[in-house]
Amino acid sequence: MLKTAVQEQLLPGDTLQAKWEFAQQAGYDAIELRGKGDLHFASRLDELKQARKDGVVMPTVCVDMLHFLGAFDEDLRRDALVQMKSQLTVIAEIGGTGAQTPASYGMFSRRLPPFEPPRSEAEDREILLAGLTELGEHARREGVTLFLEPLNRYEDHMVNRLDQAADLIRATGLDSIRIGIDSYHMNIEESDPAAAILAHAGLIGHAQVSDSNRFQPGAGHLDWRAWLTALHAIGYDGHLALECRLTGDPEEAVRSVPAFLKRSGA
Amino acid sequence: MKTTLLDRQIPLDRPAPAAPADHLTLRRGAARVLLGNWTGASTVPSRTLYPHQWSWDSAFIAIGLRHLSVRRAQQELESLLAGQWADGRLPHIVFNPDVPYGAYFPSPDFWQSSRAGHAAGAPAAPETSGIVQPPVHALAAWLVHCADPAESARRGFLARVLPRLTAWHDYLLTHRDLGGGGLAAVVHPWEPGMDNSPAWDRALARVEPAADTFRRADLDHGDPADRPTDLDYGRYVRLASAYRAAGYDDRVTDHRFALEDPGFNALLVTGELALARMADHLGQDGARHAGRAAELTRRLVDRLWDDDAGIFRARDLVEDTLVDHTGIAGLLPLVVPGLPADVVGALTDTLDGPHFRAPATGLVPSNDLTGPTFDATRYWRGPAWFNTAWLVERGLRTHGRDARARSLREALVAEAGRTGFAEYVDPLTGEGRGARQFSWTAALALDLLHTGHEPDLPPADHAPEPALTGPGLPLTDQEELSR
Repeated sequence: MLKTAVQEQLLPGDTLQAKWEFAQQAGYDAIELRGKGDLHFASRLDELKQARKDGVVMPTVCVDMLHFLGAFDEDLRRDALVQMKSQLTVIAEIGGTGAQTPASYGMFSRRLPPFEPPRSEAEDREILLAGLTELGEHARREGVTLFLEPLNRYEDHMVNRLDQAADLIRATGLDSIRIGIDSYHMNIEESDPAAAILAHAGLIGHAQVSDSNRFQPGAGHLDWRAWLTALHAIGYDGHLALECRLTGDPEEAVRSVPAFLKRSGA
Repeated sequence: MKTTLLDRQIPLDRPAPAAPADHLTLRRGAARVLLGNWTGASTVPSRTLYPHQWSWDSAFIAIGLRHLSVRRAQQELESLLAGQWADGRLPHIVFNPDVPYGAYFPSPDFWQSSRAGHAAGAPAAPETSGIVQPPVHALAAWLVHCADPAESARRGFLARVLPRLTAWHDYLLTHRDLGGGGLAAVVHPWEPGMDNSPAWDRALARVEPAADTFRRADLDHGDPADRPTDLDYGRYVRLASAYRAAGYDDRVTDHRFALEDPGFNALLVTGELALARMADHLGQDGARHAGRAAELTRRLVDRLWDDDAGIFRARDLVEDTLVDHTGIAGLLPLVVPGLPADVVGALTDTLDGPHFRAPATGLVPSNDLTGPTFDATRYWRGPAWFNTAWLVERGLRTHGRDARARSLREALVAEAGRTGFAEYVDPLTGEGRGARQFSWTAALALDLLHTGHEPDLPPADHAPEPALTGPGLPLTDQEELSR
């Protein structure tokens, strides 16, 4: 059985301890944290340390900002690197395994007007490699991993598929960077999501789950059995972290996921 | 540059471990094979040797895929059925239009199904072969349904496949009742699925080999010593081209090769029982199929059972004689639940006698180990295959031989892992032969890992063996239905 995690904003409760109580009762093994900008995540260090003391399992953090390491704007790009380094440091300090980020989100889509981004593909690559190398080296020093998440074509124009993430990661030569896969984006971008998992087996470090319609697993039409079998087949031993929107009663929706994933072969 | 984890990325075609593996490793390895050989709507038997969709391969593959993705298992059967002809025939190959003709022989330009088979009801697309393979599909469809009845109902799986599977069996029981004895005949050695079995040698000798105007693609990736000979291939081509010239019309073709094969017909019986279950489930007339199964069982014994030898034989319809050959096809009727008890007893004795006991593998050789035609490495003239082992295991369980079934199950799973999911195994040495990462080997090992009894259970030789009489599928499938 693969372990499950749930992002903190999906859980009811005012404190991490209260959220953890709910998560455990629903059958989750961990909470995935969300890292806001302006060093907000670092400002939560005391709260996170106390939660850890109280037994809350928090292996990963997923960035929760509107600018990223591939930003067109140099100031925003630099800030994104500062934020991510800080988040890697904090997640290391509370005994976690890593932090997840896309190359960008909502900045540009080649599928929407004006179709041609202001930066060339070569420049994109150069920018991404520089940022990934800086973050990957920081992650290595902290003993954690940076998870690069491919997003679908409408949300990012640079890294949409696992092979693109793998290519960048190999180019950095750093084993402190891994792919953070997401079932929803893979369903849009991969011709065969299960085969893509096998093809990039050695590079997959984290997995987020949501269904074909971005709602909780079970609300859409993904072939979960094939996707989860592929993760089993590569010996994936990380978490399946719930990152999604919710349909139906929110608490019931969150509560339904561990059992659904288990029934689907997790 | 220093070595990093990245350098150790696992390639897709990484061979499975050669040493005995634990069940988790085996499951992972089998899943890798099936996920890797999936093409989007079906599974190729092997990435190297067989680049299209094969009929009985797909049925066996679906039986394993149901544990991995019920949706893919359903699609596997549905995509095969999309190649069905209007006369009900289910072709032995559905060609992938994206694969170049040179990748496999005979290719679509040999069979010319959409043109030469037009009158017989071949579809305009996809291109297919014109011959058939054993009818394992109804059993596979029922097992796929049982794996997730809710998903089956949601997709209307049974309601869609039942009419097509019924038409398939109707074709076999009408167009292919060439002997008039109520059994289905095969008209090409590829049809019973055991291409170069010595059972066909005498009948094939009547066939003038085609001139050497074809180029075999199977030798590009297969060892000639493991494959049928060129002479055999010439005869296969001659038979197929004669069938094609007659528009694949069974009533017009002058069949030089026409035999009733026990394995083929035993699977038809099991298929009819599965259709009975499906029809009952959908509120239709299951009794018709159950009746046909009972009648077929009687004919199978009447026409093909050799009581002196304790094995079923193929009947050559041109000479109207039983073929004097002892092979694995003669043991496959064990899967028929309604077989008379004395026949079952004799068959299990034969299974464990000198003709088929192969300690090096624990699997069942395809040919009589003591016979003059035995060849340990050549395809269906000796090697042990995993699909036949799976069927014999099922037959043993059907007839309450649980301890014997367990040993065969353990052997199948162990050999599949040890050989890297080989296509077949040398029964004298245990060495894997043919293709590796072979889909049905992975699928059937996966099936037994999921559904078989735990192999570490204590031996149950002393336990009374429950009698299972009359038609009906084994208990395990009833349980699957009730899940």
